[in-house]
Amino acid sequence: MKKLIVVLMLYCSTSPVWATDAKLENIQVETSVQAVERGVDDLMNNCHSCHSLKYIKYRDLATFGIDKKKIDEWRGDQPIDAPLAGLMSDEAAMQSFGLVPPDLSLMTKAREGGASYVYSYLLGYYNTPEGMTGNHIFPETKMPDPLGISSATEPAQRDELRKTAHDIVSFLSWAADPHEQERHRLGYYVIGYLVILTLLLYFVKNQVWSKLK
Amino acid sequence: MKNRIIKWIDQRFPLTSFVKHDLTGYPTPRNLSYWWNFGFLAGFVLMLQVATGIFLAMHYKADVTLSFDSIQHIMRDVNYGWLLRFMHATGASAFFLVIYIHMARTLYYGSYRAPRELMWWTGQGLLLMLMATAFMGYLLPWGQMSFWGATVITNLFRATPFIGEQVVTWLRGDYAVGDATLTRFFALHYLLPFLIIGGVVVHLVALHTVKSSNPSGIDLAAKDNIPFHPYFTIKDLYGLGIFLIVYCIFVFFLPNSLIEPANNIPANPMQTPTHIVPEWYFLPFYAILRSVPNLVGGVVAMGLSVMVFSFMPYLDRSHIPGGAHYRPWYRVTFYLFVADMLVLGYVGYTPPTNQSIVMGQVATFFYFILFMLLPFISKAEERWLIRRGLPPDVEAMIAGEAKEKSKLPQRRRRGDIT
Repeated sequence: MKKLIVVLMLYCSTSPVWATDAKLENIQVETSVQAVERGVDDLMNNCHSCHSLKYIKYRDLATFGIDKKKIDEWRGDQPIDAPLAGLMSDEAAMQSFGLVPPDLSLMTKAREGGASYVYSYLLGYYNTPEGMTGNHIFPETKMPDPLGISSATEPAQRDELRKTAHDIVSFLSWAADPHEQERHRLGYYVIGYLVILTLLLYFVKNQVWSKLK
Repeated sequence: MKNRIIKWIDQRFPLTSFVKHDLTGYPTPRNLSYWWNFGFLAGFVLMLQVATGIFLAMHYKADVTLSFDSIQHIMRDVNYGWLLRFMHATGASAFFLVIYIHMARTLYYGSYRAPRELMWWTGQGLLLMLMATAFMGYLLPWGQMSFWGATVITNLFRATPFIGEQVVTWLRGDYAVGDATLTRFFALHYLLPFLIIGGVVVHLVALHTVKSSNPSGIDLAAKDNIPFHPYFTIKDLYGLGIFLIVYCIFVFFLPNSLIEPANNIPANPMQTPTHIVPEWYFLPFYAILRSVPNLVGGVVAMGLSVMVFSFMPYLDRSHIPGGAHYRPWYRVTFYLFVADMLVLGYVGYTPPTNQSIVMGQVATFFYFILFMLLPFISKAEERWLIRRGLPPDVEAMIAGEAKEKSKLPQRRRRGDIT
């Protein structure tokens, strides 16, 4: 019996092998309108030519408080209720990459590690000895280094790209869960209310039960 | 006026006597601990799931081309749709947590023993229906894990003798999980909760016939029973407050921790996820399924691992009251069982490696061995406890309650009790 327990404990202590072995850099996303606005801007310049965000409409950006003029610039002659469709057709993408680039609306929720995964992935590109680019986080990726981190050698330049990646991920986090801030705000009220209610119920319960002999 | 209406109803329907018999005057043991709150909580979560589910169904579309988008529509555009959806998704986990605690309490205190076997068996039926409902509901978002989970589980019916293939096709409505599967799962996911409500009514009628068990395991005399209202209505409400605080922490701050990341990718029949895992509440049973190398054997083992609880009234042969409380050997068995469940859950969660497979097989073996040894453990323990004697306070309590009960007929004749 003792031996069995020891064996079981030994098994519990060893960690399983996960699909991604590379270490993610853990980050906290920013939730401010400014950060998200910078993020959309960077995404429009670096990602939007191939990737869509079909669950986000230009109107959602306006509702969140992003500069109206910028939104008009991005959408061109598309209506305000149009989703952020990618600029590349699926056929063209299939020809260039062999797959359709995934929609980014839920990207930070659709990967183990969330925002930290996407951030580490964007900055995970490096130059291989054969003169190609590889990625530490997702080696099978078909996407060419979008921000150019693999060819950035100057520390200042790398810091700049880090900031860009951080802003993009902040925007994607908002896009994946646009009601998160509202949810947290409401959550504090709801839980505060419940704590007071439960305390009162506790006192009433004691009051009622004290009548028992 | 009010009295006249009630009188009018009472002549046609047993309203007052029902309220008196089953609510206000329902005799409840006064020594119930907070572990007895979980039945009420399960009923509450059931109502919560039905209520949120009906409103979700008003916006959901059961169609493979639309369902993933309709969930996003609920999450983004429907007023407080995110709240409804997170309440419903978190509610599923809350339901299983509450039910597992409710079952663990029954096992620990031996509440499944005579005369409460029917309560235990109706409970077992409710558990099966709950599992089916949860499994079918998980397909509805039509994410990667939804699709592949449903594919893996419906595939298990291939183990049916002779007509395996046909049964799988019949269940899916197609050769693969597809639109036909999604629409029928939606229809059944909407139907089953109402069958569960019916089952709960049977469960409660049985409860009100045999009355609640209690931590002492002794059938208490009338003086130790108190009316359900107000004592247990207020105690249940206080417990509900605590439950809601925990539930709301998950709903408002951690809702995504209960949703697999892969389920935020639309279902793709051409691409298998690297690692298919069920929801946490199915992990131990999934681990048992995977631990048996042969399909038929695995399915039988998994089915048996859920159904084996039904045999508890026969497996436990001891008549010592109080469940694990006064029974040291049974208590050890109980805790070993809980630990084994946790090990199985861990094995079910990790991708299969040589280590985890062996660990799963050991834990599966241990799971069934515990149940198989229980008749011998409980009988030997009963003999040992009778030889050694119960603790003096328990003996005194049993004697006291028996005396109290023998006094009852005389006192009633003298008119002491109305």
